Amino acid sequence: MANKTHDADVEFIRALAELLRENDLSELQVKRDYADESSLNVRVSRMSSVQAQVSVPVAPAAPAAPAAPAAPAAPAPKAESAPEDPASHPGAVTSPMVGTAYLAPEPGADDFVKVGDKVSEGQTLLIVEAMKTMNQIPAPKGGTVKRILIEDGAPVEFGAPLMIVE
Amino acid sequence: MGAGGLLSGVSMSDHLLPWPDGTGRIILDEVDSTMAEAQRRAPTLDRPTWIMARRQTAARGRRGRKWSQPKGNFSATFVMKPRGNPAAAALRSFLAANALFETLALQVNRDALATKWPNDVLLNGGKVAGILLESAGAGGRVDWLSIGIGVNLMTVPEDVRDAAFPPVSVRGEGGHPMPRDEFLSAIASSMATEEALFKRFGFGPIRERWLQHAARLGEVITAHTGRDEITGTFESVDEAGQLVLQTPKGRVTVPAADIYF
Repeated sequence: MANKTHDADVEFIRALAELLRENDLSELQVKRDYADESSLNVRVSRMSSVQAQVSVPVAPAAPAAPAAPAAPAAPAPKAESAPEDPASHPGAVTSPMVGTAYLAPEPGADDFVKVGDKVSEGQTLLIVEAMKTMNQIPAPKGGTVKRILIEDGAPVEFGAPLMIVE
Repeated sequence: MGAGGLLSGVSMSDHLLPWPDGTGRIILDEVDSTMAEAQRRAPTLDRPTWIMARRQTAARGRRGRKWSQPKGNFSATFVMKPRGNPAAAALRSFLAANALFETLALQVNRDALATKWPNDVLLNGGKVAGILLESAGAGGRVDWLSIGIGVNLMTVPEDVRDAAFPPVSVRGEGGHPMPRDEFLSAIASSMATEEALFKRFGFGPIRERWLQHAARLGEVITAHTGRDEITGTFESVDEAGQLVLQTPKGRVTVPAADIYF
């Protein structure tokens, strides 16, 4: 049931995002009550450099369609000639939370890794900061850093692809 | 368990304040940094543990900023293995701020204290302490989380540049600084209480208490994200701990920034 609800919620949020775009609105908030007394509270908004905000108090931690970092709420309906989505790449390292990504341990220091580096499992690739918590992101497996998909200091969403290691 | 046991428990101890159950305590004369020590010890820890050092030779703050620990000031790291995902682990910024607030309130006038998003505690508008969190984990899990806390109990560090929030000390502001060992027991107890609340009731009551003490709530503040500067009315902190600002362009939530006002 949880999955079914989740899928329906994602569809619903997508529809809201479309509505927002079509009517050139900046924000839309909807509360939906379900028969089982749970509810879904959604606020979708469009702002420069800020992404759709979705709060789902009943079923939290459900990433609503992890779109590419810069894309707003809804994913493009048809990706014409767009390059393959790095998030679906088997070697993708994705962000475990919303925050700011850092490629170096501190300003002015060398980056943790660069493209072409061989890394071992567990080696720190970068840091994602949220709420002043520096979350070290380790290599999920040994391999070579093929691509670095974000810049130092970039805002990242939950599930956003950060690097490709294979 | 009779009252006599409780009383003798206190009087037998070298410390005035009790130590919370189920929590480890390591006290070092000198270490490079309690954060580094926590990371080294994390893999073999069997319970949440406080590591306090009387002297740190390479103390550090956020993003490699230097942290000075003159004699008599407090520095310790609480290291634990939290359940849940990294986003939930990061909410401990607020637990730590609340615990620090309550511990400082034993030593200075409570009304002189305020919280600043996400985990600063200000004393008379000055920086009396710093909190830094580090974590690591893969696959949506958190292997360990370290919460480093430095407090200017006795002395204001000399080499600090942050003019927006000038450094202050508990003693310098007319407070009554506790000995460091007692400070450790007090904040360990407060943190244990915050953890218990968090486990039982979730982030709601933690956030509510934090907001009760928040500086500039409802007023205009500025968030420096490193790339952007966002100025708006400080509306709230959301369920994920993010700063909520009402700006001329609409509502903005901020997961990582330095706050100025």
